[in-house]
This record gives sequence, structure tokens and C-alpha cells, in this order.
Amino acid sequence: MTQTNTRDRILFVLAAVCAVLLSVNFYKIFLVLPDEANQGAIYRIVYVHVPSIFTGFTGFFVALAASGAYLATGKLKYDAFAAAVTEVSLAFATIVLATGMIWGRIIWGIWWAWDARLTTMLVCWLIYAGYLMLRRAIDEPTQRARLSAVVSIFGCVDILIVWKSIEWWRTQHPAPVLSVRDGGGMGPGMEAPIYWNWLAFMCLAAILVMVRTRQEQRSREIDSLRRMAHSY
Amino acid sequence: MSSFFRASFTIAAKDLRSEVRTKEAFNASFAFSLVILVLFSFAFDPSSEELRTISGGLLWLVFSFAGALVLNRSFARELQNDCLDALISSPAPTSAIFFGKTLANFLLLMIVEIAALAVFAVLYDTHFSKQFWPVVLVMLLGTWGMTVIGTMFSALTVNLRMREMMLPTLVYPLLIPALMAAMTLTSDLMIGTPLGKDNMIWLRVLAGFDFIYTVLAVVFIDIVLVG
Amino acid sequence: MIEARNLTYMFYGFAAAFVILVIYVVSLALRERKLTSEIDRVRRMIEREK
Repeated sequence: MTQTNTRDRILFVLAAVCAVLLSVNFYKIFLVLPDEANQGAIYRIVYVHVPSIFTGFTGFFVALAASGAYLATGKLKYDAFAAAVTEVSLAFATIVLATGMIWGRIIWGIWWAWDARLTTMLVCWLIYAGYLMLRRAIDEPTQRARLSAVVSIFGCVDILIVWKSIEWWRTQHPAPVLSVRDGGGMGPGMEAPIYWNWLAFMCLAAILVMVRTRQEQRSREIDSLRRMAHSY
Repeated sequence: MSSFFRASFTIAAKDLRSEVRTKEAFNASFAFSLVILVLFSFAFDPSSEELRTISGGLLWLVFSFAGALVLNRSFARELQNDCLDALISSPAPTSAIFFGKTLANFLLLMIVEIAALAVFAVLYDTHFSKQFWPVVLVMLLGTWGMTVIGTMFSALTVNLRMREMMLPTLVYPLLIPALMAAMTLTSDLMIGTPLGKDNMIWLRVLAGFDFIYTVLAVVFIDIVLVG
Repeated sequence: MIEARNLTYMFYGFAAAFVILVIYVVSLALRERKLTSEIDRVRRMIEREK
């Protein structure tokens, strides 16, 4: 009983912090900050785009750690956590891609640019989606945990390789980069809301991950209960 | 150490011998490459200059699609008659089983690719004789990367019910850095640009990719096959 | 003219992010409901078996 209370209390605190941060930030973003010199109003997208990138990437590092923890210890709770984090990160990766495409359409007139960030996010998205599809294809929980952990590790290494190689390539062959910094530097007070929004998104992500992890564990509980019922 | 290589070569020889006898995978792969190459020649004007700049991409698309045919069968062929269980319970370490199968797949794929490359050179009228050996080098590195990942995931998906769908879904995103590198290098070589400062980065990416994933695969194959 | 398009796309951007999040949260809620009903069903099945 106390465990549920602590968990609910944590969820409430996270939700409160997130709500406060988002309200303050959105007020600042929409009403206080002026339009950016080169980009106009659209630059405000960065306050959703960049924090989502940070959250998504943090997510994949965390999923990597959780997968490693499962392989090291064999405890299925780490697997449930890894699956939850990957799924939530997939949602944030989708946001990055959608906002990036809309931003690019206005700034560069193109829906897509093969810059390091967008391409890495796309590969990340494809690998996460494959991971989740794999999980649906395996019924046995231990086999599912084991195989998805390996896919997670291979996937994370791949994302790092993609990121690094495109970055190196782009330092030699500059191409459109979706960044406000490249547009001539950010004005005073423009950079801070990015980081505050990141904190807010992390709180949101934490809430979603906690809910999702519990769902994953409950679904395993149901499977074992069902097996028990059938054995009578 | 030598027993590892002896076991790997035995497994590789077994796979290759079985392939030489049936020629199933080679025929299917090569036929598929031919079909794609011919179909693409309808989509693009084969004599145009711009085709040469995308030729690298086209070639590696053909290679990766043909590769999927070969790699899917790699561990799947062992499912009949419990051969996979027999292999795993044999004294050969699972890493040797994996390495042997990777070697066999690599050789098989290289043969298919060289045949496809010949057809490509004829159909698309490319002249890369000056860059022949660099093209072969890129093919060797790229094919090894494709084979390592493909064989690893063939083992991973061998017992899944949707194996044929899961293998490409998992493998192609992972191959993106290697394919990017191979495609860019091959396109450059096809139009005559030699390997130089400009595209050396991609060669390094390819080599790094191969090294990292060979190590990772050999380390994790035991977890995947045995658990 | 350009300003209006700029502003419209900005709203599209924020709307896209919001919609994606909402879709995800709704999917979580739906799954929660499915899990609760499933767990009740299995528990009842066990009680009956006993």
C-alpha cells in the first residue's frame, strides 16, 4: 500500500513540476520573446524540437543501460523498463521528425534535409520501431527480453555511428542545418527556455515511462496468472 | 584459438558445400539482382550522366536486396531435423558457428555481387576500369558489414514466427551507415573520382562499422542462440 | 504574406507535437483499460476454477 502511495506521490510531483515549467515557458515563448531576426515566428518551434531531441536521445541511452542491466542480472523488471523507455522515446522521436520537417519547410523550403540530427533521428526511429515490432512477435517473456536487449544494444551503437559519420561528413560538406544558432546567433534570453523545456519534457517522459513500465509488468502478471488458470 | 578457426572453417565449408550442390540461394539471389537491374534500366536512361552519379546507390540497393535472400536462409536452413540444436550442442563454440556461417555467406554474396557488377557494367555502360580495385575494396568491406549483421539477425530471428518479415525490418535500419558509406564511395568511384581526402571518411566509417559489429556479434551470439 | 505563412506553420508545428503526445497518452489509457479488464477476467477465471 505504501508503495502505491509513494509512486502516486512521485507521479503527482512530476506532473506538477512539468505543468508549472511548461506554463511559464510557453508564456515566455509566445508573449515575451520577440520574433527572431532571420527566421520570424517559426523559430519558436525550436522550443519543442530541441528538447524533444534531448529527451529522445537520453531515452535511448537509458534503454541501452536497462537492456545491459537485464542481460547482466536476468531480472525482467529491467526489460519492462527498457521497453517502456524505448516506446516513450519513439513518441518523442516522432515529435522531433514532425517538427523538424515543418520547420525545414519554412526555413529551407524543403520537407527534409539530410543533416546529422534529422537523419540520426530517422534511423533511431526505424530501429526503435523495429525493436517494438520484435517484442510483439515473441510471446515467451525471457526470450523476448533477451532478444530485444541484444537489438537495443546493436541499435544504440548504430545510432552513434550514424551520428558521428554524418557529422564528420557535414563538417566537410556543409548543408542545411536546422539550428537557430546558425541563423545568426540567438538573442538574449532565447536559449534558456530550451533547457527549461527540456526539464519539463523529461518530467513528462518520466511520468509516461512509469505508467508504461507498470503496464508492461502487469501484462506479464496476467500472462503468468493465465498460465496458472489453465493449469487447474 | 586454432580450434576456433578450425571449427569456423568446417562450418563454412559445410554451408558452402551444401550451397554448391543445390545452388538455391545463388540462383535466387542472382536472378533477383538481374531483375532489379533490368527494371531500373527502364526507370532511368542508361546513358545519362546523372545515372552514373547514382550508380553507387543503385548497385548497393541491388546488393542488399539480393543479400537478404541469402542471409535469411542462413540459420533457417538448420531448423529442419533439429540441425540447429545439434550444432549448438556440439563442441564447437557458438562464436565459431557464427563466424563460419558469416564466412560462407560472405563468399556466396561476393560471388553474386561480382556477377551482378558485371551485368551492371554492361547494361549501364559504366567505365570504372581505372577504379576497379578500389571498387572491389569497397565491395569487400561493405559486404562483410552486411553479412555480419545479416547472419547475426538470422540467428536472432530463427525461431520467430514472422522471420521473413522481421529480418529485413531489423537489419536494414542497422545497415544504414554502412550502406551510406558504400553507396557514396561507389558512386564517386563510378564517375572516376579516386579514393582521396574527400571520401576517405566513408572508408573509415565502413572499416569501423565492420570491426565494431564483428566484435559485438561474436560477443553476443551466445546470448542469442543459447540464452 | 510571408509572415502569415510563417505563423501558420508555427502553429502546425506546435499542433503536431501536441497531437502526437495526445495520441500516445490516449493509447496508454486504452491499454490501461484493456489490462484492468483482462486482469479481472483472469482473476475471476481462477476463482471459478478453485
